[in-house]
Amino acid sequence: MSKKKIVEFSRYPVAFVALFVQIFLIIAMFLFASLAFTPGGRASPAAGQQALGATVVYGFIVGLFLSFTLWEIGFSIREEQTRGTLESLYLSPASKVSSLVARVFAILLWSGAMAVMAIVFVGAVVGGLPTANVGLALLVLLFSISGFLGMGFIFAGVTIKLKETAQLLVNGLQFFFMIFSAQFFPFAALRQVSPLIVDGVSKWLPVSYCVDAFRSLLIGAEPELGLGMGAEILIVVAFGIVSPIVGYWIYKRLERGARIAGTLGEY
Amino acid sequence: MAAAAGSRGFGLGRPGWRARADVVRTVFVARIKIITRYKGAILMEALLPIVFAAMPVLLGTTVASQQGVDPGAVFCENTMVSGRCTTNFRLYMLIGASTFTVVSLMLWLIGYWVRREQETGTLESLALAPARRIWVLAGVTTYAFVRAMIAFVIAIALGSLIFQVNPFERGVATALAFLALGLLPLWGLSFMFGAFIMKIKEADSVIQVLQWILAFLMGVFYPITLLPPIMQGVAGLFPPTVMTDAVRASILDISYFYGSAYGSLAVLFAMALIVPLLGYEVFEVTERRLRRKEGVGHY
Repeated sequence: MSKKKIVEFSRYPVAFVALFVQIFLIIAMFLFASLAFTPGGRASPAAGQQALGATVVYGFIVGLFLSFTLWEIGFSIREEQTRGTLESLYLSPASKVSSLVARVFAILLWSGAMAVMAIVFVGAVVGGLPTANVGLALLVLLFSISGFLGMGFIFAGVTIKLKETAQLLVNGLQFFFMIFSAQFFPFAALRQVSPLIVDGVSKWLPVSYCVDAFRSLLIGAEPELGLGMGAEILIVVAFGIVSPIVGYWIYKRLERGARIAGTLGEY
Repeated sequence: MAAAAGSRGFGLGRPGWRARADVVRTVFVARIKIITRYKGAILMEALLPIVFAAMPVLLGTTVASQQGVDPGAVFCENTMVSGRCTTNFRLYMLIGASTFTVVSLMLWLIGYWVRREQETGTLESLALAPARRIWVLAGVTTYAFVRAMIAFVIAIALGSLIFQVNPFERGVATALAFLALGLLPLWGLSFMFGAFIMKIKEADSVIQVLQWILAFLMGVFYPITLLPPIMQGVAGLFPPTVMTDAVRASILDISYFYGSAYGSLAVLFAMALIVPLLGYEVFEVTERRLRRKEGVGHY
């Protein structure tokens, strides 16, 4: 299945390049926007620009993996529904969990490459980025991706049930995490609007800890959510272990429901 | 006798004005009926510009406050052109993001319509129908326009409440005039985009990347004068950039990219005359070529 996805990917070079270009444009746009708020603009001290660049790009990387995981599994299931191959696939003896994970394998590889290129790009623009605790940050990212996979499984199940409407739900969820998990700005920004947003919403989202831990580790600063780095890493690890199990269980239930109702391949 | 029969289309129906209007209306109603089945889509489109504007607002506010300065004052200083600027950065971002949504939706809906017809195998039949393509396209673009405007109005109203800004303080009539005029070249761009999608087929990725190129060139979050000079020149020739800039300038009382409201009006007026004709011509030529070579239904 992974090989099939990679082959599919390689057959659409425009899509490949488009994704790549898109990433740079998004980052460049946010950098330009944030420079408009920096005293001195482009002439501001390099340290300020670097801290800003790091906040944007490291949060963006976590958001990138989350977004692709959420989209890819559900979208790929939907595609199989549209093409009419989902029913036959589910009658084959192939493992369901492998089939689900394989759907995101190619895009995760590509996201990894894009993340590296995004860091290089922003680093070149702002004159270097802080890269403290790379090993630990990568570990946090790994568990974060595992946790996102669990959310992706849930959305795959939801796609089977809701069909086209599930995409709207993913879109909404993506925006929700973009804002409340502070992917493009520090949590301090949300706290400035209202401390209740951070204490009442952000702190209850595991994704927030993934963003905060990954970003703080690489910048070499104290995490913003106030639990300390040890506790945040623990939450991310627990999320990475529990989420795929729970996600797959929910997926199985939804899939079974669709099979019983005879709507699995319904388009 | 033969010439008269020929001029009447050898007995084939030649749609008159009423029939043409009916084509536009039917296409429009059909599209509206489809979208009313996905009510969440319209809500999401209205929320998109608010989320989109919230991110730079939050980021900018933090950046400025970390340095102990007023974000509005810094924004004004950094975006000052010809001695004029605004401290109301929230409204600046909201207008930018909302007009971007209109532009993006118009292109997206037209591009996706062409692709969808190709996928479902109905584009070929449409090409064989006696109705001219321009009326079918007029129906689709009208639908795209209505849908985009619904999103725009909801986004501005809801966004103003969330960001606590008042977009009706000044220049609303001028802004609406610029928006209306700016939609004409946008119509033309949509035709060109539809032609492009018909040719290259990979609609999703092209639409997505184009969306971000647009956002970058349109100066959704910043005045295009912040861009390098060559890019400013390119962006200034792009109708949505002029439209966004003019809408923003009239509401926020800041300087226009083309010097004055009259300058921008003249440029946009010229674009409104040229781009739709050019767009339709591009669409027709592309379609004709495709029909000769392989047919327009290739998927």
